Amino acid sequence: MKKFWRCFICSDIHYGVKPPEVCPTCLAKNAYVEVSSREAVKIMGAGGTTLTREEFRRAILAFAEKNEFEVNPDKAKVEMLLDGLFANEQNHGLKYCPCRLASGDLAEDLKLVCPCHFLIHETYKNKKDGECWCGLFVRRKK
Amino acid sequence: MSKLIMFYARECPHCKAMMPHVEKLENEENISFEKLEVWHNEKNADLMRSYRRAIAPKCGGQLRTPTFFNPETSDVLCGEVPYEKLKEWALKQK
Repeated sequence: MKKFWRCFICSDIHYGVKPPEVCPTCLAKNAYVEVSSREAVKIMGAGGTTLTREEFRRAILAFAEKNEFEVNPDKAKVEMLLDGLFANEQNHGLKYCPCRLASGDLAEDLKLVCPCHFLIHETYKNKKDGECWCGLFVRRKK
Repeated sequence: MSKLIMFYARECPHCKAMMPHVEKLENEENISFEKLEVWHNEKNADLMRSYRRAIAPKCGGQLRTPTFFNPETSDVLCGEVPYEKLKEWALKQK
């Protein structure tokens, strides 16, 4: 079961089955202590950060850059999907895939948050022209 | 003719791509779909969720858009498909 962990040096928050051995932020070793989800949310919300559309666009471009896929070159499609992702974040709290419907079970619905783990989906896996379910990410042409 | 539903999402490109097919089918075959948007209308979303047991097994275990659904028979067609496939499915519902 996943838990929240806090680096006692820099308050980096990790959510996972076990904590990292080395804090990726301050590089301290064996620095993580389990905290409650309430504490974790408070710490993570302390910065009050928001992600603008352009920042999210840069984030997914950077994410795709080191992988075998790319952001769809179809700009109109990407803009439509960004409209949906930001509307879903505004109305439902997270950037849910605009092409699937949340069930109401958060643990299950985390699978719908963009980027989702589309590498295992039938629309992508073993497909030459594979893409994620909504088409935001497509397999990069070689 | 059974009532047919098209569950769609406003910002779903697959749904947008299917709309001309749906309109063509409605014009040519005297078929009509009740088009229900599910991300901006909670009532429609709840209706789609209420059919989860019928829809999800045929849509990769999830509620995907677009989904074409016959509430009387629980017959489902999922995703962006060629016009002929949509037509074949819809005529089967008659």
